[in-house]
Amino acid sequence: MNNNGTTFLKMNNVNVFYDSIQALKNISLEVAKSEFVVLIGANGAGKSTLLKSILNIQAPKGSINFKGKELTKLHTDEIVANGISIIPEGHLIFNSMSVLENLQLGTYHGKKKEQSIENIFGYFPILRERKEQTAGTLSGGEQQMLSIGRGLLSDPELILVDEPSLGLAPKIVNDIFDILVKLNNVGYTILLSEQNAKKSLEIADRAYVLETGNIVMEGQADDLLNDEEIKDAYLGGSI
Amino acid sequence: MEFFIAQVLNGLSLGSIYVLLVTGFNLMLLVAKIIQFAYPQFVVISMYATWAVLRATNNVILAILVTIVVSIFLNLLSEPIFRRITSIKGTDINATFVASIGLSMVLVEIMSHSLNQGFPISFSDNWVGGSVFRYGIINISRSSIFAWVGGIIVVVAFFYLLYRTMVGRLFRAIAENRHVAKLFGIPIFKTSIMSYLIAGLLGGFIALLLSMLIGTASPWLGESVALKVLAVSIVAGLGNLKGGLFVGLALGVVESVAIGYVAGSWSNVIAFVIMLIVILAKPKGLFGAAVE
Ligand SMILES: Nc1ncnc2c1ncn2[C@@H]1O[C@H](COP(=O)(O)OP(=O)(O)OP(=O)(O)O)[C@@H](O)[C@H]1O
Ligand SMILES: [Mg+2]
Repeated sequence: MNNNGTTFLKMNNVNVFYDSIQALKNISLEVAKSEFVVLIGANGAGKSTLLKSILNIQAPKGSINFKGKELTKLHTDEIVANGISIIPEGHLIFNSMSVLENLQLGTYHGKKKEQSIENIFGYFPILRERKEQTAGTLSGGEQQMLSIGRGLLSDPELILVDEPSLGLAPKIVNDIFDILVKLNNVGYTILLSEQNAKKSLEIADRAYVLETGNIVMEGQADDLLNDEEIKDAYLGGSI
Repeated sequence: MEFFIAQVLNGLSLGSIYVLLVTGFNLMLLVAKIIQFAYPQFVVISMYATWAVLRATNNVILAILVTIVVSIFLNLLSEPIFRRITSIKGTDINATFVASIGLSMVLVEIMSHSLNQGFPISFSDNWVGGSVFRYGIINISRSSIFAWVGGIIVVVAFFYLLYRTMVGRLFRAIAENRHVAKLFGIPIFKTSIMSYLIAGLLGGFIALLLSMLIGTASPWLGESVALKVLAVSIVAGLGNLKGGLFVGLALGVVESVAIGYVAGSWSNVIAFVIMLIVILAKPKGLFGAAVE
């Protein structure tokens, strides 16, 4: 699973608490370089919490290692500078700023300048047309594209994508998933959180299933797609 | 009519000082998330620094540099205090307000005991400058021109920074949504320090312009100014930088015109009554609050 024997992302016995509520319980998870891993779980399972714990938003207990660095000891901005970026749930962006300004902010950590704003306009031509528009007035799909574009501009190696399909029309969801596959093909490592299990299992290499803060199953995406329990719980029966 | 015009012109110079003050105040409110009531006290201490350097060396350039450095230094020095307060679990922005009022009181005490034995200071005529234009009773002083031109240059430079540079984008990003800014890896702490630094830089310019404009300073100057800055920020809409420009200027003019027609101390009352009426009519400020 690991390239050249070095671990890429490795979470070991991670616990996260919101005050007295435990949202993640003994999570151990690995993502190899260039892998596409999906995290499946129902509402409240802890998917967002898991992704945020990697960025040290809600102080995780345990160990999270990324390319030999212990992330639990770093601040979020340092973690982003180390090559991890998040496309958050609900396509969060800076609503009052223009599309271009949002992208410019994205370049703050982009030291290698492998991705330029021009490249992002290449992926998402609509953003070029809308670059002066206030980001808050974009459609949901356009905001999601902006969110992805912004995330790429910090030159990440690992992209955490939190429920990109939420609230979007099926056609747009397909577009977004296509883009994620494309990004994975050009070398980005992706850790995707999704409730849309079928679609995400079809495009991912491996998967983890999260239930009330526990990983209850893991395996190759294809195997999970054919697993009876998964079919019942997440794929709408064995239809 | 001439008298009215004269008072409006005076008001505009005073107003540009308020504008700069409220801009520094709002910046820290938006980025560092503090209500810095003691900010004008730092300006007053910087004025004492100007005065001391001028008296000791008569070197204008040195006085300008020292004033700016002192102002930046004082603002940066206060950062750990406010960070300590905001990092305590369960505290909010009001705690910084209370703390800065306390800080303000302490500074007044210190100034009234140890700076010039508590006596007000006055700046030399050389520093204050004389009249450069006279038409009837309209009298335009060099210091007024400095206040107008200085005010415009500083405001334009500040908004250029805010809207055209990465630091400005970071400021606005944090002001809009701290949570999202953090998720995206924006360094909240470093950017917050930058806001103290910029506010300090502004404070240095304010000290210079104000010392020329009013030609004097006392340990009690800061507190009355602080009340006005707070009022301007609230009336414009807390944290509303653009609104602060308008309301700051308006306060200067209203005060100055009022001074022209009623006994001096009533001008404050008139200004505050007008602001009270505005805030009753528009509780979120004339231009809308940028923070909760
Ligand atoms: N800021 C918070 N304070 C307290 N509890 C929280 C907070 N954020 C999340 N939780 C709780 O932690 C648990 C996991 O939430 P999380 O948002 O990670 O779930 P999720 O799998 O992302 O769900 P969804 O699919 O609805 O986005 C939930 O029980 C939630 O109520
Ligand atoms: Mg979620």
